[in-house]
Amino acid sequence: MNKRIVVIIPAYNEEKTVGEVVRGVKALSQGFDVVVINDSSRDKTAQSAEAAGATVIELPYNLGIGGAVQTGFKYAVMNGYDGCVQVDGDGQHPPEEITKLVDPLFVNDYDIVIGSRLIGQTNYRVPFMRALGIRIISIFLRVVCGMAVKDTTSGFRALNRRAMAFFAMDYPQDYPEPESLLFAHRKKFKVMEISIEMKDREHGVSSITPFRAAYYMTKVLLAMTIDLFREF
Amino acid sequence: MAQAQMLIGILAIVFFLFTIEFIRKRHLREEYAILWLSMSLAIALLSLWPGLVALLSHLTGLFYVSAVVVIVFIFLISVLMHYSIVISRIKETNKELAQRYALLELRLKELERSREN
Repeated sequence: MNKRIVVIIPAYNEEKTVGEVVRGVKALSQGFDVVVINDSSRDKTAQSAEAAGATVIELPYNLGIGGAVQTGFKYAVMNGYDGCVQVDGDGQHPPEEITKLVDPLFVNDYDIVIGSRLIGQTNYRVPFMRALGIRIISIFLRVVCGMAVKDTTSGFRALNRRAMAFFAMDYPQDYPEPESLLFAHRKKFKVMEISIEMKDREHGVSSITPFRAAYYMTKVLLAMTIDLFREF
Repeated sequence: MAQAQMLIGILAIVFFLFTIEFIRKRHLREEYAILWLSMSLAIALLSLWPGLVALLSHLTGLFYVSAVVVIVFIFLISVLMHYSIVISRIKETNKELAQRYALLELRLKELERSREN
């Protein structure tokens, strides 16, 4: 396949893992380009990424995951890529699974392909409260727009030109992963969810306590309810 | 009293609808929209549910109109404080952009100069 794909890695203070992720992607045979969006990290994320062979975009101040990823989309559109894949800088998204996400974009003409931890057979364990929160968000999406995605907070996604071009102009900043699915439905994008293996966190503990999970979920539902009123 | 209640209730609903329209047209960001929607909803509820007014009067000793004024006032103070915080953040990011922009211009000028030579 001679399609040009760029892997977008938004990174904030991931100096310990980002180099490995970049090398992992570069080691693949498909020749994906890698762009790391350094969201104003306080550590050596940028240097680490550059040393590993990535193009690094330095945001002048922290925009958050939504702004960082959208920068990647803008970059992808500016440089005429046929598709892009969003990969986390913390090593939880295995580069080997990327082709599984990219193929349906061109073979089946999907606009968005989501790599899911929650369907099929995986060994990945999601903490209970988080899984519950994700489930409730998923149910909400199914009820309001018939979207049958289970892993609504997964950032491991591939997008084709059509989806990329739209999100480069308009991407939810607060809760990008679930909100963008609602946007996708309103823009009539074809969305697919496939099962992939994710790795557990290597460094540090997840900062998501049960209380935080519930709070996050409430805010997401509120944001999505407001989104329902929007013009698309 | 019932007249004031009706009038304020209707105004609150009209305000609620205007807010929805601003959201629809993308003039108002979602994060701020929630504040305005909840305030207009709170006042509309207070105005159109008589039992609530009686309860509030009993608890606080405030009459209906006073209660509405207090609610709106607290809300406005909160919004203004929030805006002060947001503006502070924007000033900081603006400064960062101005500095980076100036440094970028310098790099560009030096690049053009070295290209001429």
